[in-house]
Amino acid sequence: MGYVAIKGGGKAIAGAHTAVESLRTAEGDAGASLPLASIEHQLRLLTSRVLSEGGLYHPRLAALAIKQMQGDTLEASFALRAYRSTRPRLMETPVQSTTDMRLIRRISSAFKDIPGGQMLGPTMDYALRLLRLDLVDESPESFRKVSRQFIRDIADSDLPDSFPKVVNALREEGLLPPQPDRPDIPFDITREPLVFPVPRSAALATLARAETGSLLALAYSNVRGYGNVHPTIAELRVGYVPVMLPHPLTGEPTEAGEVLMTECEVVATQESDETDAPPVFSLGYGACFGHNEVKAIAMAILDRALQKGMQHGPESPSEDPEFVLLHVDGVDSMGFANHYKMPHYVTFQSEVDRLRTTQEKDAAHTPAQGVES
Amino acid sequence: MTVTGQASDQLAPVPRHQWPRCLLALDSREIRAAAEQFEETFRIEDVQLPQSGLALMKIRDGALGERYFPGEIPLATARVRIILEDGTQAEGAAQVMDDRASLARAIAVLDAVLANQLSGHGRIFPLLQKGRKILADQATERKALLETTRVNFSPLGESEEDDDA
Repeated sequence: MGYVAIKGGGKAIAGAHTAVESLRTAEGDAGASLPLASIEHQLRLLTSRVLSEGGLYHPRLAALAIKQMQGDTLEASFALRAYRSTRPRLMETPVQSTTDMRLIRRISSAFKDIPGGQMLGPTMDYALRLLRLDLVDESPESFRKVSRQFIRDIADSDLPDSFPKVVNALREEGLLPPQPDRPDIPFDITREPLVFPVPRSAALATLARAETGSLLALAYSNVRGYGNVHPTIAELRVGYVPVMLPHPLTGEPTEAGEVLMTECEVVATQESDETDAPPVFSLGYGACFGHNEVKAIAMAILDRALQKGMQHGPESPSEDPEFVLLHVDGVDSMGFANHYKMPHYVTFQSEVDRLRTTQEKDAAHTPAQGVES
Repeated sequence: MTVTGQASDQLAPVPRHQWPRCLLALDSREIRAAAEQFEETFRIEDVQLPQSGLALMKIRDGALGERYFPGEIPLATARVRIILEDGTQAEGAAQVMDDRASLARAIAVLDAVLANQLSGHGRIFPLLQKGRKILADQATERKALLETTRVNFSPLGESEEDDDA
């Protein structure tokens, strides 16, 4: 059977675009277009998710993508990645220091007395999961009052801009191995395909852009029993990392802006003593754009699991770099699932033909029932 | 410079490495308006055409100290030369996290004027101070998020209101 070129659907596709827009604006006269600033602030965690999975720290465009794609995180991330692919790359930054992060949240579940103290920041961890019905008819006045009141109540603070990292304190106590400065050139997943085995920098970059639910599912599988990471969060921090670039004339590090990031270090079980070195804990690391705590924790668990898989061979799916890294990208996997919606008329027709042929052959070899020989 | 919101900070000069950050805190129209004033006064050439694009951000992981790329950030760059009537030349440049090459160019113009203390550079000081005040207020709000949620651990039963600490 040969391929048959067909045409058609152009008007239907144009109509689909109009139909999508008609639903976005279905409120009609009672509605108003969502301002990007409102999406960026009131849906800040959704914005964080999209810019993290899109791999581009651009909160305003992430908000635009959310608006355009009507809340579909995968499509919004796809749009953000498509945008980034049209932009020239001007530079690779020097190594940025997350230690200098201007924190808004910092906790440890490993130690209660961490240097500088624990500060919950903006979290829903301790909130009741009960619907707040007062938000149903929230008036503009009460909305503005909350922010005004918070700013009015601010007292002078002697807190520093940034805080020392908990893992550094553990290192000083000899509970963690020292952190060498590794000047290796990191793997750029936007320019090079993942051909296994890949270096850890490729794994970290892939996990940082991965889809949150995919990371969570695989990390959960590991800690539930399909793996052996027993994580304790040494530190989870959320804050703004100053981006320091050399001044084009003086070379002096100059702040070009800041990036909201979530960073997590998990301490895992003690490493087996394969050498004569004293036993120490091992670490997993997660850090991604935006305020994405579940993602950073899941990433840290998977990093630890993948370290084991890379060193000793995988014993579970979550320890297998190829299994994890080729299946956690939301845009990739969404694209694959969505491609099934495209016409498969020819391939499916050949399957129908094969099935009919098989059925005919089967019928020819099977004695007819109810006929006595 | 640390942006602490202290009064003494407001009086200190803003160091060059903080100029872009302070200026970016302002409404971009203020920056453009200030730069346009100098465009009218001086002859300004582009040493490099202003560009906007992306930078690949590199960080160091906190576990094993390896470097990796968590993603990209917007970046606009510009480098200008100001030529005075007597032939003297003064250069300025900017690299900012923004999409607008024209904004980077405006900041580069202000960088050249300020760094070389050209005529009228005093007009930029209030902009820097205003930007610094905005950043100080922002820092204060962020610290309030921390200060109001600081956890004060104490052993159970040590105080009458155990949960209030």
